[in-house]
Amino acid sequence: MTYLMFFLGVCFAVGVLGVASNPSPYYGVVGLVLASVAGCGWLLGLGVSFVALVLFMVYLGGMLVVFVYSVALAAEPFPGAWGDWRVIGCAVAFVAIVFGGLVFGGFMGAWKFGVSTVNNVGVFVVRSDFSGVSMFYSHGAGMFLVAGWGLLLTLFVVLELVRGLSRGAIRAV
Amino acid sequence: MSPLHLSFYSAFIFSGLGLAFHRTHLVSALLCLESMMLSMFVGLSMWSIENQVSSFTMVPILMLTFSACEAGTGLAILVASTRTHGSDHLHNLNLLQC
Repeated sequence: MTYLMFFLGVCFAVGVLGVASNPSPYYGVVGLVLASVAGCGWLLGLGVSFVALVLFMVYLGGMLVVFVYSVALAAEPFPGAWGDWRVIGCAVAFVAIVFGGLVFGGFMGAWKFGVSTVNNVGVFVVRSDFSGVSMFYSHGAGMFLVAGWGLLLTLFVVLELVRGLSRGAIRAV
Repeated sequence: MSPLHLSFYSAFIFSGLGLAFHRTHLVSALLCLESMMLSMFVGLSMWSIENQVSSFTMVPILMLTFSACEAGTGLAILVASTRTHGSDHLHNLNLLQC
């Protein structure tokens, strides 16, 4: 289990490294899908299955699907691939920056392994993440309404950005 | 720092560097923003797990809500740029160039 969690953590970091040094947005989206699958498995291994499910459905199934077909707007006749020396140089430079920071700042015990889970025990067994998120509707009702209002306003923002005509952000092309 | 903390922390730094040094396409910068949000989501979930504070579990859900708003707005800007200039190349966004 320890090695599984470590492997998922490495997959997460490698996937995000792939997004950061992507040769073309087509391959960047592949890296982001890998990173979100690894992050979801990571959360499952820690026991918070509801948060992992939300990540999968909302992030991977909602937002990433929209991103995947929006990268069709970035169409090029000859997209780059992972073997290009600039892409590999970017990835190596990013890793070098992070490890330089680690060495310079002190490698403070990143070898310590210890994982806790969230299965509460007792007479009334309630999972920690289910009960936490359900507080959205009781004590967190104000923030829930603010979030819903923000989502509604985002619809109008997107409408006005994309609509164009005379007052919009773009001309009518 | 445990290895999992190092993992999402370095993922955040990688995507921040990718956002700062994106080269050609606007959608690459938007993908780096999305991976920053993903690493923050995992980090916030780890906080509520490790400190056993179950009410903090609603914070990553809330962050995902606002991240969805931001992603939608970013994609609307991408569509606007493509409809105006024909592509999402960053050298097209040069109104402030001297």
